Amino acid sequence: MSAAAATPPAPAPAPATATARFDERFLRKLETLSLVVKRTFAGLARADRRTRRAGAGIEFADHRAYAAGDDLRYLDWNLYGRVGRLLVRLFEEDEDLSIAILCDTSASMGLGQPRKLDLALQVGAALAYVGLAGLDRVSLYPIAESLGAGLPPARGKAHILPMLHFLEAVAPGGRTDLAAAVRAFLRQHRRNRRGLVVLISDFYDPAGYREALDLLRHDRFEVIAVQVSSPDEINPALRGDVTVRDVETGDERELTIAPAVLAAYQRRRTALLRDLSGFCRERALPCFCITSDMAFDDVVLRIFRAGGALA
Amino acid sequence: MAGFAWGGFVLGGLPAGALAAVAAGGAAILTGLYLLKLERRRVLVAFSPLWTALAGERRSERWARRLRRWLSLLLQLAFLTLLVLAAADPRPAAADRGGRSIVVLIDRSASMAARDEPGGRIARARRAAEEIVAGMSGRDRAMIISFGAGVSPESGFEDDPQRLRAAIARADASDEPGDLPAALEFARAVLRDRPRPTLVLISDGGFSESARAAGGAALAGIDARFVPVGQRRDNVAILSFGARRKPADPASVEAAVVVQSFRAAATTVILEIAAGPDSVPIERIRLKLEAGEQRRYVLGAVPAADTELRATLRPAGVEGTAPESAGLDQLDDLAVDDRAFAVVPALRRLKVLRVGAGDLFVDGALLSLGDTVDVRRVPAAAAASTRASWPAYDAIIFDGVTPPEAPTAGHFLFIDPSGPGSPFPVRGTIADPIVSESKPHHPLLRHVALADVNIARAQRLALAADDIAVASALGAPLIVARARPGLRVVALAFSVRQSDLPMRTAFPLLLANSIAFLAGDTQGAGLALRTGQAARWPVADAAGAPTVTATVIDPLGNAQARAARAGAVEWPVQVTGFYRLRTGRSEVTFAANLADPVESDTAPARTLALGGRTLPAPDAPRPGQRRAYWAWALMAAAALTLFEWCSYHRRWTV
Repeated sequence: MSAAAATPPAPAPAPATATARFDERFLRKLETLSLVVKRTFAGLARADRRTRRAGAGIEFADHRAYAAGDDLRYLDWNLYGRVGRLLVRLFEEDEDLSIAILCDTSASMGLGQPRKLDLALQVGAALAYVGLAGLDRVSLYPIAESLGAGLPPARGKAHILPMLHFLEAVAPGGRTDLAAAVRAFLRQHRRNRRGLVVLISDFYDPAGYREALDLLRHDRFEVIAVQVSSPDEINPALRGDVTVRDVETGDERELTIAPAVLAAYQRRRTALLRDLSGFCRERALPCFCITSDMAFDDVVLRIFRAGGALA
Repeated sequence: MAGFAWGGFVLGGLPAGALAAVAAGGAAILTGLYLLKLERRRVLVAFSPLWTALAGERRSERWARRLRRWLSLLLQLAFLTLLVLAAADPRPAAADRGGRSIVVLIDRSASMAARDEPGGRIARARRAAEEIVAGMSGRDRAMIISFGAGVSPESGFEDDPQRLRAAIARADASDEPGDLPAALEFARAVLRDRPRPTLVLISDGGFSESARAAGGAALAGIDARFVPVGQRRDNVAILSFGARRKPADPASVEAAVVVQSFRAAATTVILEIAAGPDSVPIERIRLKLEAGEQRRYVLGAVPAADTELRATLRPAGVEGTAPESAGLDQLDDLAVDDRAFAVVPALRRLKVLRVGAGDLFVDGALLSLGDTVDVRRVPAAAAASTRASWPAYDAIIFDGVTPPEAPTAGHFLFIDPSGPGSPFPVRGTIADPIVSESKPHHPLLRHVALADVNIARAQRLALAADDIAVASALGAPLIVARARPGLRVVALAFSVRQSDLPMRTAFPLLLANSIAFLAGDTQGAGLALRTGQAARWPVADAAGAPTVTATVIDPLGNAQARAARAGAVEWPVQVTGFYRLRTGRSEVTFAANLADPVESDTAPARTLALGGRTLPAPDAPRPGQRRAYWAWALMAAAALTLFEWCSYHRRWTV
């Protein structure tokens, strides 16, 4: 770990004009944060971050539990002999980082009180600002049925204002197809450096989310999954005879909402989230479940930090 | 009221046809609404697979849901049924099919203020009236009437106990005597043609024999009942209090008080007479009265120049206390007759023109009036020549003569009128008439007793409709009074020389009263009022006089403007004390007293016989007679609505 990487840079001045979603005080707080990723990347230029990755490192940093897919060459067999646990050796190197933020903007993200999309965009903007402030290369893409037109990788805080303006213009729409969107993303970044992908979505994909996460993982991206729900999804205030209409597919069904029906709905929804969390845990992917009524600073400063994504 | 019988009930609310229409229409509308397909609420969801997997559960609940919808319909129909039932107003037919029309007649005369009952007799009467209202059956209607000297309907015919109780609370004791015949006549009028007329008289029974006899005729066909109130007879009363200027010495004032004990044992009271607005005591007498004794006390020379006198009875042990209030409550049960008021008439010299031959009797009587009159005498031949000066005289006496033409304006006393100028045509003569009827309260007969007056011959005078026969002999008027705007006439139908009236002290009094009546100054007679009467005081005597507005201030200090009608102001006398009548810059004071021995005799009557018919007590109330089933139906409907509200919000029926 280099001294330059250990010492955080002096806080850069905040953007001259903050948008409505991000006030100046909050942006200054984000400048003190830096990202920590669990895998190291080969950087094109040195950044002021100490990255950790398994394998070809210079300075031993830490161990972490072995996960399926890890290179067996980096297993610490001596430690396995002493304690009987499979641990992977991590090394530190100061490098820059490529951060891609994939924000689900499908129609389902436009629901909720408050809207899920608003919080998702705020979190994405915060992460982008942290990355830009840390001289990382940050790209941002809206995703729905496919990869939308986003912002290509950029470095430096000068790009934060165009990014915020871009996020202000994002509107919900379209169906959710995470796999198709990830495939498109990978095609665009086939020649780029691999890095960190933050996938912010409600993960309400009829085709499932597993393929999308596996594609990223198999292309050696470090993935952070952020699942966004709204309070009225968790506890729907529905009673009586209703017609439910899927906001993305337009499918309609007549239902009589009774307490038993609500309980069954919540069981299924809990199972979906539990499945997502288990899937990510098995693959050592950080996964955070947030609700759209959470305070933005709580999400960024507490949940992410508690989860180890921010230092 | 429908009066529709159904089962053991009588439906007293909406007519049967209207009820059936409301029930059928309401049920059809409710059922139609429930048969309509339910408009489902459309809800957008983020991920329908989380919901659509539940479609199988919806089918499993389909029958239960339909059942719940029908249960909701049944609830609505039950609610409608209860509302229709309440509108029908069912009442038990067996309780009282016909329904009574009850007049509750509450006596609020002065004797009802006696304190021998807790809160007074009137409070006991109100409680009795409330018991009667509480015992009314479902179809009974009651009307509350109170009466003193006048009759006051406190309510119409109601079946609402709350409104009836409010009407009962308005009945309060007065200072007036009770006019039972008028009250019974009023009750009979309001009960006419009503079903099952019933009268409940709540009173202490303090009525004169004539009132009881007259009241019986009004009760024909009416189920009359009597509720007695009062516990004992304990009262000492001032029955009369008057003051006047002595005829022979108008500058001197004498006062007379009549006190009577209505106690069963001898009692001693203090009679105190005070004068002036500050009630300065000028006389205090200790009176020892035997049981039932009436004592007359005359204060020969009132040593005060004030015109307001007050007489007060106090217990013998409470001497020297402050006037008015002190000691009154301790004396007896009734306070209103423990004090009395009198007004000394103002001194005025009246101008009198006497036309006719000299007559010792008439002239002697005029002489006895002293300086109160200024008499000018002219012979009969000058009757016509003095006509121009008639308006200048307060009274013009034609003794045995009449003017050529009957006067149309002025103040005249005709003695034995005859001739073309008589205001009363003569229709013959009467031999040896005997005074059989008289109006003792008329100003002409103030302090005048005509009993046993012997008259040899009198003329039979024909009266106009507005003439008053003050004294008559079997219908033939002997003393006549006429009062019209601008004209006052008194006539004696006989020559005083053909009677022994001049030999009696009544004659100068009658002459003085006549002059005072003609002059419009009754020398104090009009200043003494009795509660329950309508006071009348002339304020414009000339015909065509402009309308005069006077202010009447009652003893309680309440001022009321009254316009004069027919040259006089009238107002009701309701409380004892001094009334003041102000017209312009002049003010006249009047003294109002109860002065009614019937009211002062507080002996309660346990039974009451009217016209020889003893009134029974009211029937005891039967429990449940006023059970209001409509109210129960409404409460059940409200409970059903509450249950429906709960079931809706708890999703039991949706």
